[in-house]
Amino acid sequence: MITTHQLPAEAFAALASGDGNPAVVRHLGEVQRSKHLMLLHAIAAEAETVHPGSRETAAVRESLDLLRAVQVADPDTLAWLFGLPHIGAWTHDCLERRTQGLRPDFGYLAAAAAAAAVRARIRFELDVPVRDGRVLFPGLGYFHGFDRDSSVRLRGDGVRLTVGAITEGQCTDLMPEDDSGGSVPHWQGTHVVRATAAGRTWTVLLETTDQCLNRFALPMAALTAEEITSWRSRLQSAWEVLVRHHGWVADSIAAGVSVIVPLAAGSDTDLDSATTPAAFGAIAASLPSDPVLMAEILVHEFQHIKLSGLQDMVSLTTPCDTRVYAPWRPDPRPVGGLLQGVYAYLGIARFWDAQRHVETGPDDIFRAQVTFERSRSMIESATATLLRTDCLTSTGTRFVSTLRDKGKRLGAATVPANVRAIAREATLDHWLTWQLRHAAIDATTVAQLAAAYQDGEPLSGLALPEVRIEEERRKVAAATRSRVLNMRFLEPQRYRELREAGMPELSEAERFLISGQTSMAVQSYRDEISVSREPLPEAWTGLALSIHLLAETPLLSAFATRLPLMVDLHACLLAQGVMSDPLELAAWLA
Amino acid sequence: MTVHDQALISGIPDLRNVSLDRLAELGDTVLADSITLYLQRLKDNGVPVYRFNSGI
Repeated sequence: MITTHQLPAEAFAALASGDGNPAVVRHLGEVQRSKHLMLLHAIAAEAETVHPGSRETAAVRESLDLLRAVQVADPDTLAWLFGLPHIGAWTHDCLERRTQGLRPDFGYLAAAAAAAAVRARIRFELDVPVRDGRVLFPGLGYFHGFDRDSSVRLRGDGVRLTVGAITEGQCTDLMPEDDSGGSVPHWQGTHVVRATAAGRTWTVLLETTDQCLNRFALPMAALTAEEITSWRSRLQSAWEVLVRHHGWVADSIAAGVSVIVPLAAGSDTDLDSATTPAAFGAIAASLPSDPVLMAEILVHEFQHIKLSGLQDMVSLTTPCDTRVYAPWRPDPRPVGGLLQGVYAYLGIARFWDAQRHVETGPDDIFRAQVTFERSRSMIESATATLLRTDCLTSTGTRFVSTLRDKGKRLGAATVPANVRAIAREATLDHWLTWQLRHAAIDATTVAQLAAAYQDGEPLSGLALPEVRIEEERRKVAAATRSRVLNMRFLEPQRYRELREAGMPELSEAERFLISGQTSMAVQSYRDEISVSREPLPEAWTGLALSIHLLAETPLLSAFATRLPLMVDLHACLLAQGVMSDPLELAAWLA
Repeated sequence: MTVHDQALISGIPDLRNVSLDRLAELGDTVLADSITLYLQRLKDNGVPVYRFNSGI
């Protein structure tokens, strides 16, 4: 009789607070091992059912026999293998291929079994696939120099491994490569980083070869020797940042993150990072410019890893088609995506809460303060959204409530007024732009309201339309303004340079807004909208933002709650050849 | 004991001390139910990638 994994109440509470000590993280890892074994069993059983007489199925049987032998000889090595994110990714690949009507890559299982046999130093013989001229040993490395895709016979006697007629080597040398120089011909160990700080060590693989882990939207990067050195150095420095200033998470990261997948960056200014529940323990990222950003990525993505591990154990959300606002994304998000995002932001807020007290340069302090304040406010708004959705299970409601309370405790910390103002502007800009992009309003009701406005009827007594969320209702070209607003705290030096150059990419109204001349910005946006024959949604978001920043105005309520309606009314009147003043429209709607 | 004090029961079978040989024998029991549950979850949600771009 087998039972199912359980999660102690205190471990759940710790995870919901954004914590989770190394023991909790290792527990999540144990669950993943069981999950991978379970999925392997399903894949092997299906091979027997669907392709019973095939060569691949025979190879699956042979691989399973070898894994059984490994388990008997060295159970720890089997646990090591099934703890690799590579195995998680491969099992999910198999399941995805099955739904696409494709045959799973059974050859990978042979490669995995061979890697375990080499590591356990047991006698074996097995055919393994050659792909792109390489024979892969997941988690260890690969042999190269094979000239075509085929298969090769491995023979191991527990001490030495022979690879077809190509090469052979000591099993003890077939290990990940730590830059100390390999001694086996044709062997390339997976690059390993051993970061140390204050006596604490984090060992992590840099995976650039195994295509099972090439599943993070951006392509896996093939690194030069120089780039590998940069990655080692950046991870070492990031580990020092974590150990020195973020003790709450450093050891847990060491316990839970076993693989980094370097990504090819989209551009010099892009910084991408990703995780997937299919590969527990793996973080994909492009190389950030400084160690603090690397450390932030690790904290952020580790939050996703923990939550994905928890969600494999318990359901926090119910099936639900609702799409909602996420303060960090341009698109409407499903509830599960919002939950993952806000959990990541709890980690980010805690990270910058600590950083703002340890940074020394004025720009770095400012970046840390504003990023902390902005992240903290995101937790407040996103948890409120989640709790309103009716898409959480009772356990999910407990989880989000605990998360919200943790965020509130962060909110008790104070930041200077100018920091709060900059964070608020970035938050408002995002929210107003999102509303105009995605809030859809019934055109018939808008036309009725436009007629009433022209007839001078008061708004009171008229039915206001329902608002629904659509993927892209209006195109809003506000990216440049938003980028500059964020640049003020993310890259203050670049912002100052841009400002000295006169910010030529921005309109006059945007320059007024960004330089704090709010009344001038309101007038300038008003003039732009009033004389234009086009709807100009980006000017409307600029106007709404400027109105929000004015100390007191009776128009605020209309801009705060009815901006999309205002824009559609204006566009409707424009289509009838009627030019309307945006502030008069706002006054009618207020 | 309130619900908040109780351990949460997952749908993932605890296979830590189960030999691969025995796994085959468990095919039609709890394991099969867990696999069905997990595959249904994959069908409902797919396999998401949580990607973040923090470039400006």
